[in-house]
Amino acid sequence: MLPADCSRRLVAELQGALDACAQRQLQLEQSLRVCRRLLQAWEPPGTWTWEPPPEPETNEEDPLPACTPSPQDLKELEFLTQALEKAVRVRRGITKAGERNKAPSLKSRSIVTSPGTTASTPPQSPGQAGGHASDTRPTKGLRQTTVPAKGRPERQLPSVRDRTRAGIGARAPRPGAGLRNQHMAPSAAPQAPEAFTLKEKGHLLRLPAAFRKAASQNSSLWVQLSSMQTSDSMDAAAAKTQFLQNIQTASGGSQPRLSAAEVEAEARRLRKACSLLRLRVREELSAAPMDWMQEYRCLLTLEGLQAMVGQCLQRLQELRAAVAERPPLPCPVGRPPRASPSCGGRAEPTWSPQLLVYSSTQELQTLAALKLRVAVLDQQIHLEKVLLEEEMGVQQRSAALRRTG
Amino acid sequence: MRRRRVDPAAGARAGALPEAIAALSRSLPSGPRPEIFRRAKFDRPEATSALWQLLFRVLSPLPAGNALASIALEVQARLVKSALCSQGYPRLALAQLPEDGSQGSRELLLALSWLLARGPVPEQMLAQTRVPLGDEMTVCQCEALASLVPPAPHMEAEGPVDVRHVQWLMGKLRFRWRQLVSSQQEQCALLSKIHLYTRGCHSDQNLGHLSVTEAEMLRDPEGGQKLLRTLERESRRLEAVLAWRRAEPVFWQWMDTVLGTCAPEAPAAASQPTFLPWVPECGDGELELVVRELQTLEEELREAVERRRVAWEAKARGCGRGPEWSAARRASRETVEKELGALQRCWEQESGPAPAHGPHRLVRREDGAAGDRDLRAAELIRTLRSQEACLEAVLRQLQGQCRQELARLAGALPGLIWILPPGR
Repeated sequence: MLPADCSRRLVAELQGALDACAQRQLQLEQSLRVCRRLLQAWEPPGTWTWEPPPEPETNEEDPLPACTPSPQDLKELEFLTQALEKAVRVRRGITKAGERNKAPSLKSRSIVTSPGTTASTPPQSPGQAGGHASDTRPTKGLRQTTVPAKGRPERQLPSVRDRTRAGIGARAPRPGAGLRNQHMAPSAAPQAPEAFTLKEKGHLLRLPAAFRKAASQNSSLWVQLSSMQTSDSMDAAAAKTQFLQNIQTASGGSQPRLSAAEVEAEARRLRKACSLLRLRVREELSAAPMDWMQEYRCLLTLEGLQAMVGQCLQRLQELRAAVAERPPLPCPVGRPPRASPSCGGRAEPTWSPQLLVYSSTQELQTLAALKLRVAVLDQQIHLEKVLLEEEMGVQQRSAALRRTG
Repeated sequence: MRRRRVDPAAGARAGALPEAIAALSRSLPSGPRPEIFRRAKFDRPEATSALWQLLFRVLSPLPAGNALASIALEVQARLVKSALCSQGYPRLALAQLPEDGSQGSRELLLALSWLLARGPVPEQMLAQTRVPLGDEMTVCQCEALASLVPPAPHMEAEGPVDVRHVQWLMGKLRFRWRQLVSSQQEQCALLSKIHLYTRGCHSDQNLGHLSVTEAEMLRDPEGGQKLLRTLERESRRLEAVLAWRRAEPVFWQWMDTVLGTCAPEAPAAASQPTFLPWVPECGDGELELVVRELQTLEEELREAVERRRVAWEAKARGCGRGPEWSAARRASRETVEKELGALQRCWEQESGPAPAHGPHRLVRREDGAAGDRDLRAAELIRTLRSQEACLEAVLRQLQGQCRQELARLAGALPGLIWILPPGR
């Protein structure tokens, strides 16, 4: 059908498509891995934290007046940890040895990572919980102190130590706070050492305080940026326009050349015009007017449409002439993005992402599938256009050949 | 802010300009030190390579990475030149600069400012490397499957080799498509589950549940640390951008002085840089297609209008009415004008309040309630369905055109042998 060089372009396009597909597939698979892993039991058990359902507003980051915990607090903490140690020892005797092996590995990870609470409170001392909470509330405070420098080995105050090291400050524990390390074997929680799965206990997770703070600062900065965008200072805007003009005049002053992108955009607009016009013409031609009024209107519409078609053609010819006279500047490939025809105007991007709310898995899947479908159609159309262009090119060439031959 | 009102004397005020430049430098990724800018004003050679690299970073369509850093300076310089040229950068002196980084820093500074004046460059660069905390989905199709081309139907090739190869490629593509669809469906299902299981966890009530990123951070605290650090870095950049925006006017005054030190250029003949690595794919084939279509339409309309006009005139002559007649006619004219005007606006303007460009954070809510600025999946689905229908119509029409052209070709090139794929 088409001479070899046409199919070459087609093959090239297809190859590009295959590559893009493969890339997207890789991305999806990576993301799938992450999701699957999240839905399985989290490994190694114990490096996560969970908490029982929060009590309303106990200790969100209230800064404690004192920066450093008082010696009294530290003492209490010591007692507490001793008690826990004992519990651990007892527990260890019962549970499997595997726990023990993991303990050193966790310790050696000096960056503590698991966010969340620290010492668990033994269930039999709920009274202490209150006091305990107040002690451990100021994560900042504890971070500043060195580990109560009695030289308690870390393993006995892992919580404090770890928190002093932690970049992510642990979220202040709630009374009856949940588990921490696995070598502080979860005596408090009857369920442990059951593995953690998102399904059963996902709703107990809490984000660490430092992260929340950073995230909220981040999002407020983005919001500031957006609002600044829209209310751009008059000075700056005027200065910029002036500067651009100055550069233009300093460089020969002629009309800026059309870039291929602009040409394409104009062509796209006109193409859209064409299809809309054609649609309308069909409608009018197929409508059967009932009375003279309708007939009149139909006639007027058709005449109007004719005029519009003429205008579009004229603009196209002008465009072609301009393009021929001064070839448009080439467009770099990979300019992101290849604005698809179905994407509406290039609205100002809002810098802070808005929400997209869905209500069920089904809905999300439908949405994603449709998006994919529209993308496919866009590309199919692109390919058809390529095909058409090539065919017309062949025609032109053969016509030229016939003329010369 | 005390610097918002900038008077001419402000430029001389110590601290205003350096602050602006410092903010600019902090707001750009791997921005050069502020003194580079000052040196560039005086066209000092040592400022050149840093500016080439910065321009490359800004103009490169690829995301930043180690690969970019390892490209040689000459190559970077050439790519910068061609990118600027294709954007319509007017100054010719830039195209003539040597690519070894030995001179031209002032020209480069001008080029950078030109880019800065045309668009929100620091913001765009920041948005490119933004840390997505949520699970995001883009609403518009801009980034969807760039250069993805599904098989064209009814493809007939000249020689058996072409046909088979093309068909094989098409089959492969269709398979990959199916794979993508199923992988995506699975991902949606998993995502939805994760959202469901973590509801009630998020400190932000608006969001309600964790995203994959957030859950992953809890599962893997080391990764979470990294995320936190990246987030904080981004916040610092954001602050720098905000500072830059506030201090901008001073910078522009200064740039005007820089421009003033350059000699004006003579208008040149249309010249192209010799090295065009990014292949220009847009020919004027597009224009040609549209012209053809419009011409066909014009023909059709001409005949129809003529016919109807004649018929109408005949009728109208028959019934000569009075003033109400002309009033009615006027009314009709106005209506038609309005309708056609609306039609024209459809393609003249970019479609009205476009759905926000860019990514949206997915949030699962049982009731599907959404605020004013939020999008609902159901609505989006509706929009997409109508888009789908529209595109299908366009595709069908194009396919028809293709077939027509093929038929024409068949007639015009009798020497060709048509090898039809089996079963079509």
